[in-house]
Amino acid sequence: MADSLNAHFLTRKIHSLLGLVPVGAFLVFHLWENSQARFGAEHFNEHVVEGIAVALNYKVIVELTLACAILAHGIYGLVIWWQSKPNITQYHYGANYRYYLQRVTSLTTFAFIIWHVYHTRIMVELDEEVARDLFTHMQRLYADPWIIVLYVIGIVGATFHLANGLWLAGITWGVTTHPRAQRISAAACGAVFLLLTTIGFHSIYGFKYPYEGEDQPGHADVIGDPTASDLDQHRST
Amino acid sequence: MSSEIKFKIKRQDGPNNSPYWEEFAMPYAPSHNVVSALMYLREHPINTRGERVRPVVWDCNCMEEVCGACTMLINGVPKQSCAALVDDLAQPIVLEPLTKFPVVRDLQVDRSRMFDALRMTKAWVPIDGTYDIHVHAPIIDPKVQQERYEFSRCMTCGCCMEACPQYHPDSAFVGPAPLGQVYLHNAHPTGRFFRDDRLHSIMGEGGLTDCGNAQNCVQVCPKNIPLTTAIGGLGRQTTMQMFKDIFMK
Ligand code: SF4
Ligand code: SF4
Ligand code: FES
Repeated sequence: MADSLNAHFLTRKIHSLLGLVPVGAFLVFHLWENSQARFGAEHFNEHVVEGIAVALNYKVIVELTLACAILAHGIYGLVIWWQSKPNITQYHYGANYRYYLQRVTSLTTFAFIIWHVYHTRIMVELDEEVARDLFTHMQRLYADPWIIVLYVIGIVGATFHLANGLWLAGITWGVTTHPRAQRISAAACGAVFLLLTTIGFHSIYGFKYPYEGEDQPGHADVIGDPTASDLDQHRST
Repeated sequence: MSSEIKFKIKRQDGPNNSPYWEEFAMPYAPSHNVVSALMYLREHPINTRGERVRPVVWDCNCMEEVCGACTMLINGVPKQSCAALVDDLAQPIVLEPLTKFPVVRDLQVDRSRMFDALRMTKAWVPIDGTYDIHVHAPIIDPKVQQERYEFSRCMTCGCCMEACPQYHPDSAFVGPAPLGQVYLHNAHPTGRFFRDDRLHSIMGEGGLTDCGNAQNCVQVCPKNIPLTTAIGGLGRQTTMQMFKDIFMK
């Protein structure tokens, strides 16, 4: 029997923590940023893509940290997956289905991220045209309905995994210990799931149907973006 | 109601033999439970093909759902066969041994792993020491008593372990029932002297962190033991213990 801190316990706690910060936090930020696709190519390329590049002075470090965190969380997650013998066909309880879905979405999300990072982030390095206009690159991708299907699966998987992960973290860290607390947190996490999924779908919609032309009433109010006046200048050119 | 009670039983001649199915039928009588029906079959061990076979082996003891020995899968659900009324069950009644423990013979399994887990987690109250442990009987708040009483009814039957997707022969996970006992004994006025030891014993490989919170355990426990409350409570205790281990040296 160990009488001091156990490495296994710490590893699990770090795994849980990595899923929330930075991975989960980044997902929220990423979905929010991309949901601005609706304001069109120039806004997206200038303010979202460039904006992030400028805002994150230490982009390389940030990206490397993120990549390592995702890999560590994902690979250790696979180790956890091997210990599981799902039995949803026998025991039809909500939490049991969510237990299973948490594992399924870990796989879909992991596969999706690898593919998604390749054709967005890595393509930017490989292809100058993509680097210049990521927005149009995304629009071209979305012309294929299968890509949209993949994105829907990717987004729903990731938002479920995060929202359900929040619910699980509440229990494993000992915040929501009793059934009532766990019911309330389940409702809250359900709301987080719906909200994040809506934001995610909104970005697909935005790439498909961005605002075009001059007459976009009140978009500046919609985003409350101080750079919205720049946006108008871009549009008039 | 048909005039017969039909059984389909998964049998196994010994720990290393492969399992096979055998069907039995017996005359209907009201108010049979699965154990009393098995007792009838023990006296008339004749399968539906008319062959006289080795009587079916199973475990039982208290006959009132408090020892847990007679637990088996009845129509796919883990429960106590002494308390499973034939009149409530769809026929043929399918009996299988629990799948998470090694089969000894037919419906009898070896649940020593559960007892090993109780030993590993020190799920008991120390009654001996180099100092007086009990000067007077410890005084316990009746509300706490009430909460702890629930956990004291665990009969190590293994239903919760059977339903847990994280507990199986290839995993090191201690399983829900021992976690419930850790929670119980940590709350005991004398039992809490072993609190740190117990927490450390479930902070290693196969410990609390290996629970995936599928929460099947609490659904199937025949004693309605709030296992997930224990798991949540231990989540809090182990998190605190972690900080204690890091900073309070
Ligand atoms: S909550 Fe944990 S212990 Fe209970 S069935 Fe699920 S994984 Fe097993
Ligand atoms: S906790 Fe319930 S299901 Fe599990 S062994 Fe104890 S009595 Fe059986
Ligand atoms: S014989 Fe004891 S629980 Fe069934």
